[in-house]
Amino acid sequence: MSLTLTVSGDRWRTHLRAVAAANPGIVPVAKGNGYGFTLGRLARKAQWLDDQGLGVDTLAVGTYDELPHVAQRFGGDLLVLTPWRPFGAALEVDPSLADRVVHTVSRVEDVTALLARQPDARFVLEQVTTMLRHGLTSRELWAVAPILADHPRARLEGIAMHLPLAQGSHLSQVDRLLNDVVASGLSTTTVWVSHLTPDELTQLRSSWGDFTIRPRIGTDLWLGDRGALSVTATVLDVHEVERGDVFGYRGRTAPKHGHILVVSGGTAHGIGLEAPTGDGSLKARAATLARGGLDAVGFVRSPFSIDGKQRLFAEPPHMQASMLFLPHGAHVPAVGDQVDVRVRYTATAFDRVVVD
Amino acid sequence: MPSAPAVREISETEHLDFIRAQRSASFLQTPAWGRVKSEWRRQSLGWFLDGELVGAALVLYRQLPKVKRYLAYLPEGPVIDWESEDLGAWLAPLTAHLKAEGAFGVRMGPPVVTRRWSAAQVKEGIADESVRTLGDLPPTERGHTGARVVSQLHELGWRPQSVEGGFAAGQPQYNFQIPLRDADGTARTEDDVLKGMNQLWRRNIKKADKQGVEVSTTEGVVGSGDLQAFHDLYLHTAERDHFTPRPLSYFRTMTEALGAEEPDRIRLHFARHEGDLVAATISIRVGAHAWYSYGASSTEKREVRGSNAVQWAMIREALAAGADVYDLRGITDTLDPDDSHVGLIQFKVGTGGEAVEYAGEWDLPINKPLYKAFDLYMKRRG
Repeated sequence: MSLTLTVSGDRWRTHLRAVAAANPGIVPVAKGNGYGFTLGRLARKAQWLDDQGLGVDTLAVGTYDELPHVAQRFGGDLLVLTPWRPFGAALEVDPSLADRVVHTVSRVEDVTALLARQPDARFVLEQVTTMLRHGLTSRELWAVAPILADHPRARLEGIAMHLPLAQGSHLSQVDRLLNDVVASGLSTTTVWVSHLTPDELTQLRSSWGDFTIRPRIGTDLWLGDRGALSVTATVLDVHEVERGDVFGYRGRTAPKHGHILVVSGGTAHGIGLEAPTGDGSLKARAATLARGGLDAVGFVRSPFSIDGKQRLFAEPPHMQASMLFLPHGAHVPAVGDQVDVRVRYTATAFDRVVVD
Repeated sequence: MPSAPAVREISETEHLDFIRAQRSASFLQTPAWGRVKSEWRRQSLGWFLDGELVGAALVLYRQLPKVKRYLAYLPEGPVIDWESEDLGAWLAPLTAHLKAEGAFGVRMGPPVVTRRWSAAQVKEGIADESVRTLGDLPPTERGHTGARVVSQLHELGWRPQSVEGGFAAGQPQYNFQIPLRDADGTARTEDDVLKGMNQLWRRNIKKADKQGVEVSTTEGVVGSGDLQAFHDLYLHTAERDHFTPRPLSYFRTMTEALGAEEPDRIRLHFARHEGDLVAATISIRVGAHAWYSYGASSTEKREVRGSNAVQWAMIREALAAGADVYDLRGITDTLDPDDSHVGLIQFKVGTGGEAVEYAGEWDLPINKPLYKAFDLYMKRRG
């Protein structure tokens, strides 16, 4: 009785192939919950893309802790997106992976520290962007060249940029950042970027044709064809209720005649937990508040839909199941039926992923 | 740098002595150029480090209408150590000085190269439909010093003045140049330079020679008869090619002012065929940098190829003077075959040199409201 992600296999694979073919040098990103698919599955798919001759030689993971999930399933290089620090999981990388792992380094002192531990380390240097998360400023990038001159075995694999989501064109920013790379005197001409549109990538490849552009792609690769994906929950129980009938953990009463539906999918899956959507409008913020205050203000919309209509939560979701209220007159599904669920893939843990 | 240099006004003599000691400086940074641009107030500035003159600038003050405030303009300058990693130390005393002189903003054009493209690449770019501008082509070389300057100017709050498409109001960001030395510094031979040209250029140079085209060059201060002859042909060219000519007085001022600095600073060249003037040009040289500055040609007798002959004579002269580079000056960045400017590029590309991108012109607002008003005014004027 599961919350299931069903993948239309042929359609999904066709999409994956098309994205990889359209983005030479692509670096698939497999991080977090594996965009709902799990890290292991994405690693196998990345390997499959490479086997198809699409030149996927590197897979990116978010953290050092994610390495064991992908290392056996993907045979190529493994880029870790979280910057290397001289503490924590970064220092516990399985020695057998040392030669496959490409570190991200974002501070001058970390270049020195990393090379002190592993003189032949492979790494990319992350530049700070307008996102202002991690990264070296242009001056700091200049400072790296003399350090590398003292470490002849160090393997600089390129420059990394983590751009914010598009707000207008990124190109002027990328131009400036690449100018800083030229200014640094570093010998690398490979740049690893995210969040560029196909048009921006084309333009970049022409004006920076002497550079190798490696697009890091996650969402647009794995989730780019939503039509290939469907999420369903199972109806576990159905109870007819009259107005005033008591139900649920909290002893609520039914507002009118209808049905209480118990469906699979609860807080353990991420159901009913709001990840901020990034929509900053007043309406969106009010909606988030309303969901948080579910108990106080009555029924709110759930992500479950029956016959194309989103239904109300009868009470806040439980750990593995949710209760919905279905007013009188609506079609009542039977126990065992599947209902559609709208989820954020990156914030949902599915019980099963079925690729058909 | 051990200590920060100080900036103060210097005499034109000191300024000229400093320019003379340089391998390369733009002619727009010579004290004489200030006299050519007589409609603006000019000033020679020097950078001093431990009492020694280590940098110089020609500043032209352009007054805002109605107020006693100026845009301080340093065309293709200043002449300072652009390789410095601490440009802030060079530029801060400059802007402080200019502010005290009543400047609301500074505009300068660092003479540093950011990108180069070979003639072959430019040619392919024109033939390739997907390539619209030079920027669409990967360069043969990116200038490390140029990139550092650009990086630092951004850091210091300077703003690049975009030069979109054609020639903007300022100095051209893209130029076409023939290097006269190999990468290792050895001077190229005439043969070698000739071999670098395309077939058409070589054929035309040979043809002009065969047809008996003779090229003569002025020595010392340009005489008024020569200047008149150049200007007559220049007016003829302007009418044919639809551009607005400059008056004779402009050229007189220019040849007098530049000619007074060095005997071979500025020269006129004439190509004649059986006594008829078929082409005339002006060349300028500062140290090891030689420029082709102005050109004119007759509509009659184009078949004797006077223009190619006179260019070749100027190139040979630059070689003989030990110059590092022969500079054909501005090109637009367009490589679109439908653009009217592309013919000019094609003519220059035939010489086999390279397209060179400079860092371009940069502004630093000193008085923000006034600078904003000025910027708006310039944009409206378009």
